[in-house]
Amino acid sequence: MVLVITRLMEYAIEISGLTKKFGDFVAVDRLDLRVKVGEIFGFLGPNGAGKTTTIRMMCGLMRQTKGTIKIYGYSIPEERSELIKITGYMAQRFSLYEDLSVYENMEFFGKLYGLNGKNLENRIIELLEFLDLKDVKNRLAGRLSGGMKQRLALGVALIHRPKLLVLDEPTAGVDPPIRRAFWEYLRGLNKEGTTILVTTHYMDEAENCDRIGLMNRGRLIAEGTPRELKKMVFGGDIVEIVLQGYVQEGALNETASLKELTYRDGDTVLRLVLKDASKELPALLRRLDDIGLRVLSAEPINVTLEEVFIELVTGRVEKAAV
Amino acid sequence: MRLMAVVVKELIQLRRDPRSLVMIAMIPLIVMLLFGVGYGGGMGKISIAVVNLDKGSLSWTVLDSIMKTPSVYVKAYANSIEEGRELVKEGIVSAAVVIPEGFTEELMRGASTQVLVIVDESITTISSTIRNAMLAVTYKFQQELVRSVQGSSVELIYSSVYGPKVTNLEAFTPLVIGIVLQLVPTSLISIAICKEKERGTFEQLIMSPISRFDIIFGKLLAFFIATIADMLITLMVAVWIFDVSMRGPLIDAMVVSTLFLLGSLGLGMLISVLSRNQLQANQAAIFIFIPALLFSGALMPIDMLSPSARILANLTPMYYFVSAFRDIMIKGFGLWQITWQLFALSVYMMLMMVSAPLVLRLRVD
Ligand SMILES: Nc1ncnc2c1ncn2[C@@H]1O[C@H](COP(=O)(O)OP(=O)(O)OP(=O)(O)O)[C@@H](O)[C@H]1O
Ligand SMILES: [Mg+2]
Repeated sequence: MVLVITRLMEYAIEISGLTKKFGDFVAVDRLDLRVKVGEIFGFLGPNGAGKTTTIRMMCGLMRQTKGTIKIYGYSIPEERSELIKITGYMAQRFSLYEDLSVYENMEFFGKLYGLNGKNLENRIIELLEFLDLKDVKNRLAGRLSGGMKQRLALGVALIHRPKLLVLDEPTAGVDPPIRRAFWEYLRGLNKEGTTILVTTHYMDEAENCDRIGLMNRGRLIAEGTPRELKKMVFGGDIVEIVLQGYVQEGALNETASLKELTYRDGDTVLRLVLKDASKELPALLRRLDDIGLRVLSAEPINVTLEEVFIELVTGRVEKAAV
Repeated sequence: MRLMAVVVKELIQLRRDPRSLVMIAMIPLIVMLLFGVGYGGGMGKISIAVVNLDKGSLSWTVLDSIMKTPSVYVKAYANSIEEGRELVKEGIVSAAVVIPEGFTEELMRGASTQVLVIVDESITTISSTIRNAMLAVTYKFQQELVRSVQGSSVELIYSSVYGPKVTNLEAFTPLVIGIVLQLVPTSLISIAICKEKERGTFEQLIMSPISRFDIIFGKLLAFFIATIADMLITLMVAVWIFDVSMRGPLIDAMVVSTLFLLGSLGLGMLISVLSRNQLQANQAAIFIFIPALLFSGALMPIDMLSPSARILANLTPMYYFVSAFRDIMIKGFGLWQITWQLFALSVYMMLMMVSAPLVLRLRVD
C-alpha cells in the first residue's frame, strides 16, 4: 500500500545564506530568496551579478560554498534527483544538439524522462503546436533562427510537464515581437499553475513578473512587486505638472518634493515625488494656484523599472527591502 | 530505456559528422595500404637472429661483419640454439646464426671450428640470399684470420627449418589491425564528453534524469557499433587484397580484437572525461598512441629493449594484442593457447570500462 502525501507548499524556492566563492572571488554573497508557488519571479541584475551562478546552484549543477537551498521542500544538492523530475530548465546559452532536428531533440529528452511510444509522440506534437514549431520540426536545431531556438529550448524544458520552470535569459538577443510572444507562452503556462523563475535584462519584461529580485555583485539588493519597488526607490509616486511660462525654481516653495525642473515649449515641467499622490495632489495644486502659477496639466507618471534599476545599481539608494 | 536513447542519439550524430565518418572509413584503408606498399613486395632486409655462445673476441668480428651486410639485419638475440631455432620456426626471423662455445679459443689454437646457420627454407629466394651473405662473411673473416693464425679455419654448416612462410606483410598485419583498433576508436570517442561540455549541451543533459552509466555506456555502445565495422574491414582487406592467410580460427581473432577494441573505447572515454576541451582530448589520444606503437613488439622485439623499457612494454595493451593476434594468425593458435594475453587484455578492458564512470561528475563547475 503506497501512502501518497501531498505536501501543501507555500514556497517553491527557499534559499538562505547562499554563498558561492570562486577562489577568493565571491560570486554570490549570503543570498536569501523566496519564491511562492504559482508566481512568476523575475531575477534581475547587471552582467556578472551572480544570477546564473545562483540558478546553477539551485539546480544542483554547481555546489554551493555555503547556504541552504530548498526546492519544493527538497534539499539541494542532496535531493537533486527529485528536483530534476519537477523542474524544467533553460540555460543561458543555447544548449540543445545543433546536429539533431527539432523533433529529434525533443524525442531524445522525452525518452530521458521516461516517455515513449504514443505518449511521447503526442506530447511532442502538442508542444510543437503550442510553440508554433510544427513547420520546422525536421530542421536541424543549428539551422533555426534565434527565436525558434528559444522556443525549442522552452519546448524541451516543458516536455515532462514541470511544476517549476527555471529560465536563464530566455529572450536574450531576440526581437521585441518574438519576446512578446514568448512571454505570452510563459503567462499561459503560469495560468495553468507553473511556477516560473526567469532572469532577464529587459525591463519591460520584468513588468510582467509578479515579483522581482534585484541582484548586484552577488547580493540581493531589492525585492518586491514592480509597484513596490518603484515606490520604494523614489519614496512615493511621481507626478508631472506643467506650468505656463518660465518659472524659476526659487519661485516655488515645493523644494522638498521637487525632483526635477525642466522647460518644454516655453512652459515649465515639474516632477515631484508624493508619498501618496491621490491624497496630496489637490492640496498641492491649490498651493500653486495661490502663488499665482497657472497649471496646464497634472498627472501621475509611470516610472519604468529601468529607472528603478539604475537608481539601485548605481547605489543612490542603499540596501532596501519592502 | 535511457541507455538506448543515448545510443540512438550518438549514432544519428555520428552519421551527420563527416569528419568522423571519413576517419572510420579511411584510416583502416590508409594504414593497410601504407604497410601493404611498404612491406608487401618482399623488399627490404631479411631479419635474422644471433646466438653467440662464445666468450672471446673473435666472435664479435664475425657479428660485426654480419651487421654490416646490407641484405640482412639482426632483429633478435637468443641465448641458446633451441631459442634460435624457435624464432625461425615461428617466422619471427628468417635465419639464426649460432656461434659455438670456445669459438675464439679453437681458432687461436689453430684448429677449425663451425658456425651453424639455421635457415627457413620455405621461401627459397630468402634462404639463398642468406647463404650467400654468410658465405661472404666467413670468406672475409678467414682471409684476415690466416694472416695471424696458421692452420685455423671456419666452416659453415646449415640446418634447414620450415617456417610458417610468413611474408613481411603478414608479419605486420597484427600491428596494422592493432593500430586501427586503438587509433580510430580512441580518437573518435575521446571528444565524446568534452564536446558536450564545450558546446553547453552537457548542462541540459544532466538536468534530465540521466545517470553517469547511461551517458558513458550509451556512448561506448554507439561507438562500438561504429568501429566494429572497422575491424572487419581491416581483416577483409588483409585477407582478400593483400592475401594474408589466417591460420587460426577467425572467431578467436575476433574475440581478441573485440576485447582490445572495448579497451580502446574505454581509454578514449576516460580521456574525454578528464579533458577540458576537444583539442586537449585529441592530443592525449595521439600522445598515448605513440608508446603503444613503440612497445607493441612488432617494430622492435621486446627482448632487444632495455630492462626498464621492457617493463613499459609489458604494461602496453597493444603488446598483448599484437602477440595474441600473431599467435592466432600465424601460428594457428586457439584462445586456450594464449590465455596469458587473453587475461591481460581482459584486465585492461575491465579497468577502462569502470574508470570513466568513476571519474565523471554530473556538474558544470
Ligand atoms: N566557473 C567560474 N569560475 C570563476 N568565476 C566564475 C565562474 N562562473 C561565474 N564566475 C564569475 O562569477 C560572477 C557571476 O557570474 P554569473 O554568470 O552568475 O553572472 P550573471 O548575473 O548571470 O551575469 P550575466 O547577466 O552576464 O549572465 C562573474 O563575475 C563571473 O565571472
Ligand atoms: Mg547569466
